[in-house]
Amino acid sequence: MKSGTGKPHVAAPKPRQPFVLLESGAAGLNVVAANAPARAQGITFGLKFTDARARLPSLASEDIDRAADAAALTTLAKWMIRYTPLIALDGIDGLMLETTGCAHLHGGEAEMAARMTARLSEDGITHTIGLAGTPGAASALARGAQISGPNILPNGDEQAGLADLPVTALRLSSESTALLRRFGLTRIGQLYGIDRKALARRFRSVRHADAVLLRLDQALGLRVEPLDPLRPPPAYSARLPCPEPIASTDGVLEGLRRVTDTLCADLAALGQGARLFAFHAFRSDGTASSIEVSAARPVRSARHILRLFHEKIDAIDPGFGIDLLLIQARRTGPMTETAMALSGDLATSDTDEIALSALADRISAKLGETAITLHQPAHSHVPERRERRIIYDGKLAPPIAHQPSMGPRPLRLLDPPEPVTVLAEVPDGPPLSFVWRRIPRKVARADGPERIAPEWWKLEEKGARARDYYRVEDQSGRRYWLYRDGLYDDGRGGPPIWHVHGLFA
Amino acid sequence: MDLPASLASTLMRPPATSNGPTAAFPFGLGASGVHELAEASFGDMAALTGFALAAAPRKAKGAVFWITQNRLSLEHGHLLQGGANLYRPACPAYVSVYPRQLCDALWIIEEAVRSSAVSLVVAEIEDADFTASRRLALASGRHGVPVILLMPYTRQGATAASARWRVGPRPSARNLFDPHAPGHARWHVELERSRQVPHLAGRCFDVSFNDETLSLSMAPGLAAGSAAPHAPSHEIRDGQTTRRSA
Repeated sequence: MKSGTGKPHVAAPKPRQPFVLLESGAAGLNVVAANAPARAQGITFGLKFTDARARLPSLASEDIDRAADAAALTTLAKWMIRYTPLIALDGIDGLMLETTGCAHLHGGEAEMAARMTARLSEDGITHTIGLAGTPGAASALARGAQISGPNILPNGDEQAGLADLPVTALRLSSESTALLRRFGLTRIGQLYGIDRKALARRFRSVRHADAVLLRLDQALGLRVEPLDPLRPPPAYSARLPCPEPIASTDGVLEGLRRVTDTLCADLAALGQGARLFAFHAFRSDGTASSIEVSAARPVRSARHILRLFHEKIDAIDPGFGIDLLLIQARRTGPMTETAMALSGDLATSDTDEIALSALADRISAKLGETAITLHQPAHSHVPERRERRIIYDGKLAPPIAHQPSMGPRPLRLLDPPEPVTVLAEVPDGPPLSFVWRRIPRKVARADGPERIAPEWWKLEEKGARARDYYRVEDQSGRRYWLYRDGLYDDGRGGPPIWHVHGLFA
Repeated sequence: MDLPASLASTLMRPPATSNGPTAAFPFGLGASGVHELAEASFGDMAALTGFALAAAPRKAKGAVFWITQNRLSLEHGHLLQGGANLYRPACPAYVSVYPRQLCDALWIIEEAVRSSAVSLVVAEIEDADFTASRRLALASGRHGVPVILLMPYTRQGATAASARWRVGPRPSARNLFDPHAPGHARWHVELERSRQVPHLAGRCFDVSFNDETLSLSMAPGLAAGSAAPHAPSHEIRDGQTTRRSA
C-alpha cells in the first residue's frame, strides 16, 4: 500500500511579505498559520499575535475563515480524484490519497508526485508531498520533512525513514507533544527504543499514552489505518484524458459518449449493471464539476445512460477547458440479459418492467428521485391510510383489490377531508343539505351509513372518533362521500363535524 | 338525450372492421389518439375520471400512467385505486406522477407515450395550447399509445386532439334495491369537436355505467331526469318523512 499526502496552505495575498492568519483564543489573538517569510522570522503556529507583532511590526495579518478553508480543501480533494478514486481529508490541512495501483497510470511514483507538484504549483497552492507505505508514514513525511520536494519512502523503510523526523509530525495533540518534549523526546527515532509500557507510564492519562503509541504504530505499519474516503470508491470507472482542453458542450457530449461506451463494455464483459452513474469533468484550472444519474434497477445500456445524462449536462460548465473526463459506476450488481418472451401470453408480467423502469429513470432524472409513485395497499381500514404512496424502485406494487366487505369507495379522495357546514341535520342519516366550498347542495339520495371505527392501537389515532360514511347524491347529480366525524353522544369532544372525504364519478 | 333511438342503436353497435375502433361510441376514446375531456362546470373532475375509466377499453397489458398536476389534485382530490378498480378490475398497475408545472406534465406525457411499457396515459392538466396538443397527437399516433387529457371547465379554443368531450354528471340511475340510494353512475357527455366523426360534433349523449357488468350504455333520454325517487325534494324540504320510511 502506498499513500500520499499533500499539505496545502491558503495562498497569501502578498507572498513576499510576512503574513499570518489569526484566531481569537482564551488569551487574545493567536497565530494559527504563517507563511514562509514569517516562519523565517520565527513566527510560528501557537504564538500570541502581540508577541509576533513585537518581533515584526510590519507583520500583515487576517482572521482565519475555517469554513472557507474546509470548503477549499474539499474542492481540491474532489479535483484530486483524477489521480485516485480513494481520497480522504486528513485533518484541516491535509489530503490522504490511496495511490496503490494508480501510480503506473501516471508514469510511476516519482513521476506522479512530480506531476502533482507541477499542477499544484501552477495553481499557487503551496504543498508538501509525502509518499510512503502507510498513511501514518506518508503523513509524517509530508508534515515533518525539511526538504520541500516529494519525499518518497520505499515500502518497508518506514522505521529508518521516519527516525529523523520531529515527533510533531505524528499528528499528536499539543499536550502530548509538549509532554514528549519535556522528556527530551523530539525525534520519532527516539521513541523506537523505549519500552512501550515505560512510555505509557510517563503519561498522565491512558488516553494520551494510547494516542502516542497508536500514531507511532500506524506510521510504522504495525496497526492498520483505514481511510474514510470522501466518496465511496466506485466499482467501475472509465476515463478519457484530453490532450487539448475541451471548451464546448458538444465536446463534452462526445467525450461522455466515449467514456460511457467504454464503461458499458466493461460492465457487459463482467455481467454487471449499475444503479448510479457519476460523471466528473476536471477543468484545467483545478476545479471539477460532476453530475449523477440513478436508475431504478441495474442498467448497462449506453444509450439509456446517455439519455439520462442529457437532462443534466447543462450543469457541466467547461469554463477555461476540461482536460479529463471520468465516469464511475456505483451500486453495481449482477445483471443478466433476459430474452423477451416470444408471445405476450408467455410473459411473466403484464407490464414490460424494464421499459417501465427506463421511463421512470428518465422522469426521475428531470423531476427528482421521488417523482414516480405507486399506490400500495396498506394494512388499514381507514380510507386515507388504506393506500400508501410509495416511491417506485423498479418493482410494481401488487394491485389494490377492492374488498367486498367494505362499502363503496369513491374515485377521487380529498386529502385532507374538507369540513362542510350542515344546514339541516337529521339524527340518524346524512344531512338534507350542506354547504361545501361555499355552495349549498341539496341531498336528493343517500346510501349508508358505513361505520369505520378508529384504529385505537395506533398512536396517531389517539383521540380519533368513529366515522359514519354516507354515499350522497345532490340534485344536480354530483355524488359525494360524506362522513360524520364522531357519534352524537360518544363523549369524545363536541358535536360531530361533517366532512367531504371523496367524490364518486 | 337529443339523440333518436335508431341513431343511438347504430352508434352502440360493435365497430365495423373497415373503420376500426373509431366508428362507434366512444369513437376511439382511450383506444387511439389524444382525447380531451373537459369539465362541464367546476367540480366535475370526478365525473370526467369516471367516464374516462368506463369508456377506455380494458386492455390487460401494460401500465396505466396517471399524471396529475399537483394543483388539480389538491382541488379535486387524487385518484383512489380502490375506487378505480371498480371500473377496471384487471388493470395491472397505476403509476402516478404529480408534477407541478404544466410544461413538465406535457413532457412526461410525451415520454410515457414513447415507452413500450405503457398502455394508456391519463393526464389531468390545466391547459394545453395547440402546439402541445399537436405534438401529443403526433407522438400518440406514431407510438400507438392512447392519451386521455382531463381538463378543467375553462378548456376552450383550438386543439389538435382527435376529439374534445365535455362531461358533466347526471342524476344516477334508479337503484333497484333501494329507491333512496344512488344507482349506477350517469353522465351527460357532449362531443364538442371530433376529427374522426366530424358530422357528429355537437351531439350529446347520456351514458350510464353499470359497474357489475362493466358496460357503458346509453341512458334512455327520458329516464335521465326521472330516475330520482318520486318527489323526494318536497318531502325532504318539509322534513316530515325520514329517509327509510318509504
